[in-house]
Amino acid sequence: MLGSANFGDVLVIADLEAGIGTLTRLDAQSIDVVVVVVEPTPRSIDVAQRAVELATAREQGRLIVVANRVTGAADVDRVAAGLPGCEIVAVPHDPAIMDADRRGVSPLDSAPDSPAVIALIGLASRLVSS
Amino acid sequence: MRIAFVGKGGAGKSTIVGTFARLLARTGRDVVAVDSDPMPGLSFALGLPVIERPIPDDAVVEKAEGTEGPRYRLRPGLDATAALQAYGALGADGVRLLSFGKTRGDWGDIIRGQHAWSQILDELPHDRFDLIGDLPGGTRQPMTGWSKYADVIAIVVEPTAKSFATARRLSSLRDSKWAYHHVVAVANRISEPADTVTVAQRSGLRVVGAMPFDEGVASADRLGMAPLDGAPDGPFVAAVAALVEYCVARFDGSLKSQNPIKEAVA
Ligand SMILES: Nc1ncnc2c1ncn2[C@@H]1O[C@H](COP(=O)(O)OP(=O)(O)OP(=O)(O)O)[C@@H](O)[C@H]1O
Ligand SMILES: [Mg+2]
Repeated sequence: MLGSANFGDVLVIADLEAGIGTLTRLDAQSIDVVVVVVEPTPRSIDVAQRAVELATAREQGRLIVVANRVTGAADVDRVAAGLPGCEIVAVPHDPAIMDADRRGVSPLDSAPDSPAVIALIGLASRLVSS
Repeated sequence: MRIAFVGKGGAGKSTIVGTFARLLARTGRDVVAVDSDPMPGLSFALGLPVIERPIPDDAVVEKAEGTEGPRYRLRPGLDATAALQAYGALGADGVRLLSFGKTRGDWGDIIRGQHAWSQILDELPHDRFDLIGDLPGGTRQPMTGWSKYADVIAIVVEPTAKSFATARRLSSLRDSKWAYHHVVAVANRISEPADTVTVAQRSGLRVVGAMPFDEGVASADRLGMAPLDGAPDGPFVAAVAALVEYCVARFDGSLKSQNPIKEAVA
């Protein structure tokens, strides 16, 4: 559907399965931006490198790396070192997100002022403004 | 004993499997960590690097045109035990990692390895090795038989609504044609005892282990260290040790081979 439907002006946000499986099946025309979500651990960075390589080789559009669950500058540095040259947006480790998850509610409703939600609002405005 | 760990993405399967396999191996048993995720993960918990192609192409031969059976078979003369010894990487505490390899987007790269991997699991003797399986997140692989080598399915469940929903879907494996003997839950990232009760109630499963959220595990992972190397005295490792003890007492022995009727169904 992503490859064939004409969405017009509708903004489509797709939450893909873990790994790179779905990315290998999407052609370049169907996406404008690939957001690679990575945790600051070597194994998560290894998977992210595969996704970045693939999206770059297939010219699937603008690439943004979201470093999630970061606890400080060292975490962001780790991600940046593993993914050189990528545009990185950091989202802090935030108990409010885990708390919302446990209660089955959206963090945007339950904790709109929490650091992680503010970082995600920043990501959203970065995406729509360009 | 043959246990496969399944569950929602990020639930903690690889971290638990790596730790479980190593603790079991420390009791003197021959343990195989079975990896079916085409993305890296489990090797880190076993002190191994990412191995892209553990099984060389010449481990298999292609079936002749017009004949029956799978497209690739282990080459003549190579049996499952010998293949495991040749291609299973030797990790920390003597655990063998059986993996078909990792992909960078071209699935053709790992197809031969996947055939060899499946045949090894089909044919390994039941009495010699313990198999501890780590599946990719979600329902796709478990629902299509990728864990059929196991007797016991352990669903890793976090105390979140999304994780409960995945666990409920996976619990239908109880009625699958692969004739699992037990489908149980392992609670992960719990912060209070009541979480374990919630996991039992919301998943509808028997909870056989409960791993607390352990800051030491999370920090060790950032440095590429397994829980057993970076946080060996923490509550996570203690809880996995208790799970190992429980499983040895309850699930030991080769259940499928003891039950020819179920074996035939499988
Ligand atoms: N009990 C715990 N306490 C603290 N951190 C944990 C705990 N369990 C898992 N983690 C952390 O959570 C992250 C995800 O764990 P892991 O990779 O084992 O999940 P997974 O279920 O194998 O994920 P995938 O579905 O992507 O394969 C890792 O960074 C790991 O260190
Ligand atoms: Mg995993």
